[in-house]
Amino acid sequence: MLKAARGQQQARAMKRSWNVVVFSVGGVKLAARTEDVGGVSPWTESMPVPSRTPFVQAMLKRGDHVMPVYDLASRLSSPVQGDLLLCLEARHLDGPMAICIDADVPSIETVDATTIRPNDREDIETLGTVTIGGEDVAIVALQRLGRSRQDAVRS
Amino acid sequence: MSLRGHHNSTNVLVETASFLVVRLGVSYVALPADGVRGVLTREEAGNEQAVTAAGTIYQPVDLAQRLSVVADLSGLEMRTVLYSNGHSYGAIRVEQVVALTDVERKDCLPLPPQFQCDERNWFGGMMLYQDQLVLLVNPSWVLGDLAEVVLASVGQAEQMVAVTPAAVGESC
Repeated sequence: MLKAARGQQQARAMKRSWNVVVFSVGGVKLAARTEDVGGVSPWTESMPVPSRTPFVQAMLKRGDHVMPVYDLASRLSSPVQGDLLLCLEARHLDGPMAICIDADVPSIETVDATTIRPNDREDIETLGTVTIGGEDVAIVALQRLGRSRQDAVRS
Repeated sequence: MSLRGHHNSTNVLVETASFLVVRLGVSYVALPADGVRGVLTREEAGNEQAVTAAGTIYQPVDLAQRLSVVADLSGLEMRTVLYSNGHSYGAIRVEQVVALTDVERKDCLPLPPQFQCDERNWFGGMMLYQDQLVLLVNPSWVLGDLAEVVLASVGQAEQMVAVTPAAVGESC
């Protein structure tokens, strides 16, 4: 019984914290929930697709699969930085999507969910803002990227 | 009981579709081959915008412009593809004819849902050809403008077939 209570306490504590991947685009630090990230790998040349969908105008080949590229750098008007750029695979609700990010290797941080603040950014879909290493970092809602909708912070 | 050495086998019907793969700038697109009526060099096509072949007039289709891609149509490999869906006839200038290829239908993939705008009408799907992404253009859209002109006098019901994206996906 004591064990069960301890387990519940641990589960509650886990719910209160979020694991996030911290990465940067054009030198701007961003974060994403780890469960929304499929992986990080070296960026390879993308293949253009004639398209009128904003920021979705290319595809990336990964093995036998291809996935759409979301041009987050263009959306943020922040060109990616570094020589060996990286590919962050977003687990979007419509399927995996590739995002080109800066060469800086992403890190994983654990943040207290209660410290996540709602923001009024209109340039990108976010789950809120959190302070990491003294810097305010927007948590990008990768699942809904491109859907032009701000998500309320869920605690 | 079966004869020694005799293996029961089932004939597996592999459905394929034929495509003419062409290049426009850095984009590779494919047209269903059954609509291709001819491929002409610059000399064969002549200087007129419309091309007359075997008594049929093929109206010019500026596919590069319609797809908003930059194509250099001044090169030696430029070709004019004569294309028809049976009731409309288009002369499509392309930068290069890459290949005529058969593709198993299972290898034709739908355009990912993240593509949400006009391109869903432009392309019925996509495939990989020699590691290159090739977009399967929707012939109804390619010849759409021409079809509307022709069908205007035929009747609204047929026009609906020609201009709606219902045919999207049938290209493979």
